[in-house]
Amino acid sequence: MKRVAFILFTISVLNSCNSNEPKPIKLNSDSCDNCKMTISNGKFGAELITEKGRHYKFDDISCMVKFAKSGTSVPAKAFYVNDYLQDNTLIAADKAFYLKDGTINSPMRGNIAAFSSKPEAEQYQTKLNAAPSSWDEIFNSLQ
Amino acid sequence: MKIIFLAYFLSLSVLCQAKTILVGKNQQVKSIKAAIAQSSDGDTIVVHNGIYKEGRILINKQIILIGKKFPILDGENKSEIISVNADNVTVKGFKIINSGHAALEDPCGIRVYDKSNVVIENNILDNNFFGIYIQNSKNCLVKNNTIKAYGKDEQLIGNGIHCWKSDNLQIIANKISGHRDGIYFEFVTHSVIWRNISFNNIRYGLHFMFSNDDAYITNIFKNNGAGVAVMFTKNVKMFNNYFEENWGDSAYGLLLKEIADSYIFNNRFSRNTSGIYMEGTSRIKVEKNVFQSNGWGMKIQASCMDNEIVNNNYLKNTFDISTNGSLVLNTFNSNYWDKYEGYDLDKNGIGDVPYHPLSLFAVLTETNPSAMLLYRSFMITLLDKSEKVLPSITPDNFIDNTPLMKSLPL
Repeated sequence: MKRVAFILFTISVLNSCNSNEPKPIKLNSDSCDNCKMTISNGKFGAELITEKGRHYKFDDISCMVKFAKSGTSVPAKAFYVNDYLQDNTLIAADKAFYLKDGTINSPMRGNIAAFSSKPEAEQYQTKLNAAPSSWDEIFNSLQ
Repeated sequence: MKIIFLAYFLSLSVLCQAKTILVGKNQQVKSIKAAIAQSSDGDTIVVHNGIYKEGRILINKQIILIGKKFPILDGENKSEIISVNADNVTVKGFKIINSGHAALEDPCGIRVYDKSNVVIENNILDNNFFGIYIQNSKNCLVKNNTIKAYGKDEQLIGNGIHCWKSDNLQIIANKISGHRDGIYFEFVTHSVIWRNISFNNIRYGLHFMFSNDDAYITNIFKNNGAGVAVMFTKNVKMFNNYFEENWGDSAYGLLLKEIADSYIFNNRFSRNTSGIYMEGTSRIKVEKNVFQSNGWGMKIQASCMDNEIVNNNYLKNTFDISTNGSLVLNTFNSNYWDKYEGYDLDKNGIGDVPYHPLSLFAVLTETNPSAMLLYRSFMITLLDKSEKVLPSITPDNFIDNTPLMKSLPL
């Protein structure tokens, strides 16, 4: 019994080391790993987890994409973005719905907002006068 | 000739028609909105002491709005308080409190929309989301305002003085605390920031983004979350400022990122984690500054080039200089380093042996921060000394050839 518990314990420890879960961004304390600015807006933040399990935090989705393409770290295995409608909540980047430009003002002028559902994105599309976009498009359009 | 005279007197009589409207409990006009509705271009509205809860006051005429003994305009945490939507408006002598705290639009104490020649003077702004917001405007003056908010960590709050896409602004003698950034400039050109005090702000005391050809002179930036940031900018003059007590992992007295052709003269950096942090900066002259009691005097990343560091005093810093590369593209000349141990046999005030400002340990901690534990241990001191004599890890051309024997009187 003890042995099983030990094995389970080891597995859980190993699992937690290799977690795909994002770490919450601490506003006004964490700084962006790309532009060095302190992250202060929980609507536009982003987080990247590398294949080795290291977390990098960003103040703007464009900062994350630029960082991922710069070759500063090992390749990423997961991307997370802040939900525009919930303060400082991270959602998976490839499952989010995006709006670009219009009256969206993000800290580093990437001007990309992410939403967790399509109706929400559509609702804000007219409000923000923005254009719909997708993760692939955003990832490929930035250098 | 007669016609000219006639025209002259006619225009005078038109000017004389500019009237003064008094607003107050015991006056004919009870509300500011009513007074604005009655007024026409060129009028003056004098508001007497009292509390006015009128929601958003829209100024759409060229008027002068003066408060007597700081009448209170209360936004009741619902809306923007004063919106300036006309040229040549003056807002003076009000106490503006409790703007809304919405997150999608940015409610402000006072906001100027696409206008010119607006003066905002002698106001007290307390507990607003944004203090003063100037967008797309020209030739505006923001002077002698006291701007205070109560932002906390983990909470969204706006900037004290937020300027966006503007030209020819003067930001003079304001006192700003408790906002996200004390003063924020984005796409602002040909402007001056003079004699302001920005302290206890959550993020930066002053934040420059994409703003060329500006100057900030004789300001005090103290105890802000992350000091001052000047980013993605060129041609900025920074004279006679104080950068003090910005402590923290990502806090810098002055953060320079992607900036070129600027001049940093006669500033004082004291008690910061890092006095200046430079990344991607080029052609900057750092002259006659004092770096005192900082963790790092200057951190110069390898992406910096052609910067000139001349005639500065480095006093009581844990590390004077640190860098993460081995290529030396910046020049150090005639600085005073209190750690210099050379001699001056010809008594010309200049040390006879060059000084290596980069200590071995600074390089080690740059790549391995936890090595800091060993600081001031015997081995490290020994290694540092031998490195000074025979540079092996630190670049041997990272030197000040003419170190001063005495500190400069700065």
